[in-house]
Amino acid sequence: MTKKKGVVTRRDFIRGTVGASIGVTLLGPEWLKGIENREIRSSVVIVRDRRAMDEAMNVDKNVLEKMLEQTLIKVTGKNNVKDAWLSLVSPGDVIGLVPTPHLNPTHDEVIEVVKSSLVAAGIPAGNIRNAQGRSVNLQSITALISLPGLKAHWLTGIGTVLKNYILYSGAPRNYHNQNSAKMGEIWNRPEVKGKTKLVLVDALYPLCDKGPQPDPRYKWAYNGLIAGTDPVAVEAVCLKIITAKREALRGEPWPLSPPPICLEVADKVYKLGTGNLRNIEIQTVGWDKELLI
Amino acid sequence: MQSNKINLPDTIEQWRLEGSPKRIDSKNIFDYMNGAGELYLGYHFDHLWVYEYRDQSGNDILVELYHMKDSNDAFGLLSLDWGGEAETTMIAFPDALYGKGLLRVWSNNIYVRIMAMKETPVARDVILKLGKIIASNRSNPSPPKLLRVLEPILGSHWTLRRDRIGYFYSHLVLNSFYYLSHENILNLNHLTEAVIAAYEKTRKDHDQKRFHFLVINYPDHQQALMAMNGFVEAYLPDRKRENQPELKNENKNFYQIEDGWMGYKLQNRYLALVFECPDLESAREIMNGVNLNKYQQED
Repeated sequence: MTKKKGVVTRRDFIRGTVGASIGVTLLGPEWLKGIENREIRSSVVIVRDRRAMDEAMNVDKNVLEKMLEQTLIKVTGKNNVKDAWLSLVSPGDVIGLVPTPHLNPTHDEVIEVVKSSLVAAGIPAGNIRNAQGRSVNLQSITALISLPGLKAHWLTGIGTVLKNYILYSGAPRNYHNQNSAKMGEIWNRPEVKGKTKLVLVDALYPLCDKGPQPDPRYKWAYNGLIAGTDPVAVEAVCLKIITAKREALRGEPWPLSPPPICLEVADKVYKLGTGNLRNIEIQTVGWDKELLI
Repeated sequence: MQSNKINLPDTIEQWRLEGSPKRIDSKNIFDYMNGAGELYLGYHFDHLWVYEYRDQSGNDILVELYHMKDSNDAFGLLSLDWGGEAETTMIAFPDALYGKGLLRVWSNNIYVRIMAMKETPVARDVILKLGKIIASNRSNPSPPKLLRVLEPILGSHWTLRRDRIGYFYSHLVLNSFYYLSHENILNLNHLTEAVIAAYEKTRKDHDQKRFHFLVINYPDHQQALMAMNGFVEAYLPDRKRENQPELKNENKNFYQIEDGWMGYKLQNRYLALVFECPDLESAREIMNGVNLNKYQQED
């Protein structure tokens, strides 16, 4: 079968060959050898508390702090928060926090509790900085903690974990539409690669439709944090939650459109982690109503 | 064309206008809304006025007036999502929709978004009042003529879902309604117009079936033919040899692919496509029931 090189279609997506189509286009036939015998297992933690926000969607920082503690202990398997942080970062690290700035931005409270928790664990406050944006000096940062808000996106399908570093590319428009498939390559840039120690998704008040502008009808109080060290696995769990919420809202299948092709490609082409839910252990803590997984 | 000058009040209930309204055009739309700007540029965007109201508690109401080239553009923007409570009703389509603090209005060539950051009963009243001020003395023409190609019933009891009708020009927006490819394989652009809709029927065993129907109006037959050939090459590469379109006014083909039967029909400058039909008979019946000539006579 021949077709225009690199044209990914709905048919590829249904067949599950998006990764193959783009992998061959980007890396040539050699890519096919690279995917054999590659089996990764990952873990993702979901912590929820129904008291995390009140009816007016104001965040309770005390509740949020406890949720963060539970998340860190589950993700790392350590006995306390300090040990948990110190298994991820060290006091000598310069740590960049990367919140989502636009369209369902990360709650300020999430950024604040992460920062205060790091300081309490012995990380000097002066070593913690905001690392979101085009002008961030990534060379001086030794560890990144990604703090995206859970949301869909009209040009990329999902706009949560992988898209959170899009400004590091210096040209975010180059990663929209068909090029959204290449979102994972930003994570492999020399100044970024290997620096992400934790992905902590703000899933307090997610947005399940793509916008492009926020529509309050598609936001809901999930009251959760979603975390892991494998960005692709965390994205896959986020995608599952958003997809389930969309179907619940409409009472019929309502797939994200365009589909989030960046996920499969991040797994199979850029090898950033696993997007296969069968290989992801999901641990849940707390409120289990409408967990959506 | 009606006046595009909209006079909004400095105060409304306890909300007061904060600063001067901001004017956004195609040069700075991405600064204002990032990638969302692509959506409005895809609908013949001219400019946008942004008004911000705030009450003493700091609750904001954002008013956005998108000035488009014509009424079809503003209708298309509203057609992105027919959900919400209809505030006024035309014969077939509402022209204003409200839900959880967001009002969206099609007002001739202006598309309006008014959103409260926190919905309260008072904020809702204010939003609706602002919507009425904007829409007053601005009647809407009929929806785009191309929508006439959508029969309420097609074939054997396939029923049009009125809440799943989208009108657009750009492949980015097509992908928002129904994903075909990230690339522009149907060569959509500002000179083309398109409508997509879902049709459904419930079978005796209560199994619900749905297909998607897309019609594109190209500037002329030659461009429609080229688009059809490009589509076949990109979307049906395994079936390309079976398809030898000739330079004539009508082409029709059907294929079984991964998600059911699809078909297309080229008639003059119109290309109609059907996706996810349950069987060949349905696909044939649907395409045979589509009368593009009828639409063209009315065009």
